[in-house]
Amino acid sequence: MTDPVTLSALVLAAGLVMYALFGGADFGGGIWTALAFGPRAREQREALFHAIGPVWETNHVWLIFVVVALFTAFPEGFADLFIVLMIPLVIALVGINFRGAAFAFRHFGRETGREVPLSARTFEIASVLTPFTLGMAVSATAAGRIVLTNGVPINETGAWVNPFTLMGGVVGMAICAYLAPVYMTVRVTGDLREDFRKESILAGLALGVLTALMLPLAYYQAPLFAQRLLGSWPISFVVFAVSSGIATQLLLLRRRFFLAQLAAAGTVVFTLAGFAAALNPDLLIGQLTLRAAAAPRPTLIAFLIVLPIGALILLPSLFYLYWTFRGEPAPELPPAGNEP
Amino acid sequence: MDNLISARALMGVSLAFHILYATIGIGLPLMLMLAEGLALKTGDDSWHDIARRWIRPAGVLFAIGAVSGTILSFELGLLWPQFMAFGGPMIGLAFSMEGFAFFTEAIFLALYIYGERRLSRRALFLCTIPLTVAAAISAIFVISANGWMNTPSGFSMVNGVISDVRPLEAFFNQAWYHQAVHGTLAAYVATGFAVAGFYAADLYRGRETAHTKKALALSLAVATFFLPFMLISGDWAATSVAKHQKPKLAAMEAHFHTTAGAPLIVGGWPDPATGTVAYAIEIPKLLSVLAHKDPNAVVQGLDAFPPGDIPDPRLVHPFFDLMVISFFIMAAAAGWFWWLRWRHKELKRAPLMLLMIASPFGMIALESGWMVTEFGRQPWIVRGYLRTSQAVTPNGGLFLVFATFLLVYLALTIGILRLLLRSGGAGEAGGGGEVHSD
Repeated sequence: MTDPVTLSALVLAAGLVMYALFGGADFGGGIWTALAFGPRAREQREALFHAIGPVWETNHVWLIFVVVALFTAFPEGFADLFIVLMIPLVIALVGINFRGAAFAFRHFGRETGREVPLSARTFEIASVLTPFTLGMAVSATAAGRIVLTNGVPINETGAWVNPFTLMGGVVGMAICAYLAPVYMTVRVTGDLREDFRKESILAGLALGVLTALMLPLAYYQAPLFAQRLLGSWPISFVVFAVSSGIATQLLLLRRRFFLAQLAAAGTVVFTLAGFAAALNPDLLIGQLTLRAAAAPRPTLIAFLIVLPIGALILLPSLFYLYWTFRGEPAPELPPAGNEP
Repeated sequence: MDNLISARALMGVSLAFHILYATIGIGLPLMLMLAEGLALKTGDDSWHDIARRWIRPAGVLFAIGAVSGTILSFELGLLWPQFMAFGGPMIGLAFSMEGFAFFTEAIFLALYIYGERRLSRRALFLCTIPLTVAAAISAIFVISANGWMNTPSGFSMVNGVISDVRPLEAFFNQAWYHQAVHGTLAAYVATGFAVAGFYAADLYRGRETAHTKKALALSLAVATFFLPFMLISGDWAATSVAKHQKPKLAAMEAHFHTTAGAPLIVGGWPDPATGTVAYAIEIPKLLSVLAHKDPNAVVQGLDAFPPGDIPDPRLVHPFFDLMVISFFIMAAAAGWFWWLRWRHKELKRAPLMLLMIASPFGMIALESGWMVTEFGRQPWIVRGYLRTSQAVTPNGGLFLVFATFLLVYLALTIGILRLLLRSGGAGEAGGGGEVHSD
C-alpha cells in the first residue's frame, strides 16, 4: 500500500471516480435535457440548466486532474494511450468544447432558457457524445486489443472500436444519465421531484441491465479482464455495486432522497473501483503494467507530497462551493441587459 | 502539410487561442478585486456595479479559457507523446500544482459570479482574493513547465536514458524566474489595456454612462502600474537569455555574426542565406550593453552554433520587435491619458483614439513574446535534449485533426464575437454600456 506506484494509481483511479461523480452528473444533466418528457419537461430542463450553471467548470477540472495525474505519474502509459486513442479522444475533446461553449453562450448571452435552439441542441448532442467516447476510451484499456510491439503501440481502429468498448461507451453514458436525476431529487420539490424520481428509477434500471450485460460480454470479448474481475477479490466490488444499486432503487421507491443520492454515488464508485481493480496491476491490460508505465520514484514522491497540500486548499473550497449553491436551483444571474 | 508541421500548427493555434482567454482569466480577477474592494472601502456602489457589469463577458471568456485549456492538456499527449514520456516526470509537478490553483480559481470564480443572491457583499469581495491569487499562481506554475523546456534541469542523462530525476530542481529551472514574472505581469497589462479600450471607445462615440470614466481609470491604472515592470523584467529576461539561451538571443536580435561591441538591430528582415538584415536600423554597441552590460562585450551570433541547431531568425526577430514596439505604443497612450488627468485637462478625441489603438497591443505583445520564446527554442522541444521532430506522435492524419480544431476555434470565435458584440455594443468592458432596459 505504501508503494508510491500503487498510491499514484489509487490517486488516478480516485480522480476518475471524482470526474464520473461530478463531471458525469454534469453530462447527465445534458442527457436529460435531451430526454426530458412529461408535462413538466420544460421545468425539468430549466432546473437542470440552473443547477449546472455555478458548478460545471469546477466539475470539469476533474478531467484535467486525471490527465495531469496520468502524465505526471505514468508518462509512458500516457504517451501510449494518447497515441492509440487519438480518434476517440479528439471526438471527446470536440464534444467537451462545444458543450462548454454552448452552455456558456446560453448562460451569459442575452437570451436564456429555451430560446436558443442552436446552443441548446449543441449542448445536448455534446452531452451524449462526450461520455460515450470517453467511456470507449477508458474501456479500451481493459479490452485487451491494444498491442504494444517493442513498447510502441500498434494503432488500429479495432483497438478502440470493438463490442466491449462500444458497450463501455454506453455504460459511460448510462452512469451520467443515472447520477443527474438522483442528485436533482434532493434539490427540487413537488411534482418536479417526482419527475426526477421517475427518471432516476428508469436510469437505475438501465444502468443495472447494461452493466449486467457487460459481464458476459467481457467473458467473450475481454477474457483477461473478466477473469480478473470475477476470479478474484475484485468481485467484491461487483457485489458492492449491485447491492448499492438495489439500495438506491429501494430508497427512491420509499422517497428517501438524501440517502438515495449517497447510494447512487456509491453504485458508481463501486462500479469504477471494480473496473480499476480488475485492470490492476496493469494500465493497459496484458501489455503495460502500472510499474512499467510509472515515472521515476522521486517524481511519484513529489506528486504524492503535493496532493495533500493541494487537497487542503481544494476540499474546503469545494465544500464551500457546493454548500453555497445547495437547494433549489434558481437563475443566479439577472437576465442580460438588466444589470444595474 | 506533413505531420510535424500540422502538429506544430495545431499546437500553435491552440496556444495562441488559449493565451488570450487565460490572460483575461489572470487580469480580470485583479480588477474585480480592486473594484469590489473600492466599493467596500469608499461605500461608493458604482464600483460594485462596474465589477458586476464585467461578469457576463468574464463568464464566457473564462469558460472558453477552461475548455481551450482542456484541449491543450490533451494535445500534449495527442501531438507530443514522446515529449511527455520524456519530460512528464520533470514537468508533471508544475502541472499538478497548477491543477490545484486552477481548481481554486474555478471555484471562487463561480462563487463570485453566481453568488450575488446567496452571499454578502463582503463575502463576494473575499471570494475575489483567492480568485486573483489562484489565477496568478496557476500562471506562475504552468510557466515553470515552459521554462523547463527552455532551460531543462533536474535530471541526468546516462547513456541516453534519464536518471536521477530531481523534480524540485526541474520546477525551479533557470528560465522559470524571469519567464514567470514577465509573463504573469504581462497578463495584467494586456487585460488592463483591452478593457480600457472598450471604455475609451464608449467615450469616443459619446456613449458615456455614469461609470465609464471611473472604469476607464481603474483599468488603465492597473495596466499603467505594471507597465514599467515589463521593461524591467524584460531587461532581466534578455540578460538571462543572453547567458543561458544564446541561440535564442541571437535570433531575437537577428545577430548573425559573433562580434565584440555588437550593435542592436531594430526592425529589418533577416536573411539567413546571406547573414544580413535588410532595411534595419543599427544602434552601435547597444546589444552588447543590453546583453552583457558592457559596450565591448562579445555577443555570440547564430554562426557560433551548428547550422542544424539554431532557430530561424525570420520567425523570431520580427516578433521580438513587435513586442517592444507594443510597449512603446501602450506607454504613449497611457502617458498621455495620465498627463491630461494630472493637469485636469479634458480628454479629447485624439488621446481616446490613441487608447483605442493601443488597447489590443497588450495582447499582441504577449502573443509575440510567446512566439519569440517558442520559435527561438527551435529546433528543440527540450533544448539540447529532444528535438521537436522526435517528439511528434507517430500517428498519421494530423492535418485532419488540425483542420477539425481549426473549425472548432473558428466556431468558438464567431460565437464569442456574436455574443460580446450583441450584448449592447460595448462588448467586453461595457457588457451593455448604453443599455438600460430597467
